[in-house]
Amino acid sequence: MVFDFLSLAKESKLLNPDIFSVIRFQLLFNLAEVDEAPYRDLKSALQLSDGALYTNLKALEKMGYVESRKIKIDNKDLEVYRITKSGKEDWILVKDWLKKVINNGL
Amino acid sequence: MDFEKIVACIKEINFKPNISNFNDKLIIQKVVFLLQQKGIDCKINYGLYVRGPYSPDLTHKIYEEREKFESLKTNTKLTKPEELKIQQFNEIFTELTPGVLEIAATYAYFAFKKKETPKEALLKVKELKGFYPEAQIALGVSKAKQFLYEPTKQELEEMKKEFNMWENAAIIDRQ
Repeated sequence: MVFDFLSLAKESKLLNPDIFSVIRFQLLFNLAEVDEAPYRDLKSALQLSDGALYTNLKALEKMGYVESRKIKIDNKDLEVYRITKSGKEDWILVKDWLKKVINNGL
Repeated sequence: MDFEKIVACIKEINFKPNISNFNDKLIIQKVVFLLQQKGIDCKINYGLYVRGPYSPDLTHKIYEEREKFESLKTNTKLTKPEELKIQQFNEIFTELTPGVLEIAATYAYFAFKKKETPKEALLKVKELKGFYPEAQIALGVSKAKQFLYEPTKQELEEMKKEFNMWENAAIIDRQ
């Protein structure tokens, strides 16, 4: 089956953000799939404001889940983010837990 | 995944990748996607990710076979039709600009892989890659169309008829 984050991103709008942080959830989910992602790609693809994206990325960085570095694309300085080893490990734990919730809820 | 064929393709486009470089990895992802859309089957599954069409399997394999990939060592020889497709790619994408390739591949994903209308595909490119200037989006989209568009039988017939009319007119003019 072909992976399609757009449909998933749209469906996530239906979730109650009070249950957990939908933004952090989406960031970890997407960063776990790609090697690295520029800030501008995350902002545009996930349709987030600068405030929401920056705050959540910094929070994840503080938690040791993501790390950033500066690169140049087409002569533009950009910040790219990647998930860390501990971020990936904890994300797998969350994913496995969610699978269990879904399987048990049916 | 046909990793040997991927290495052969990258070698054929005359690109020397450095896996530590973000731009080089981006170029590889998008070039292989576009070539696969053109019919060079590298047996890779591409999905739509925050970075546009992307294959996590390809990234893993590149890291796993880093030395082989960076030195472009392969015994696989591309077929004549495959070489012609790459030649066409080289003629259209004369410079491997990451931004243009990213836009071209994203447009190709919607217009050619998902078979959405050109208008819908363009709207989605603008939604996902709206941070690029309009001129760069237009260039990427036009290059994707140039590379991947294949006229239908009916369009070919109509073109033939039109060209015949012009040819006949030229013959009469010469007489």
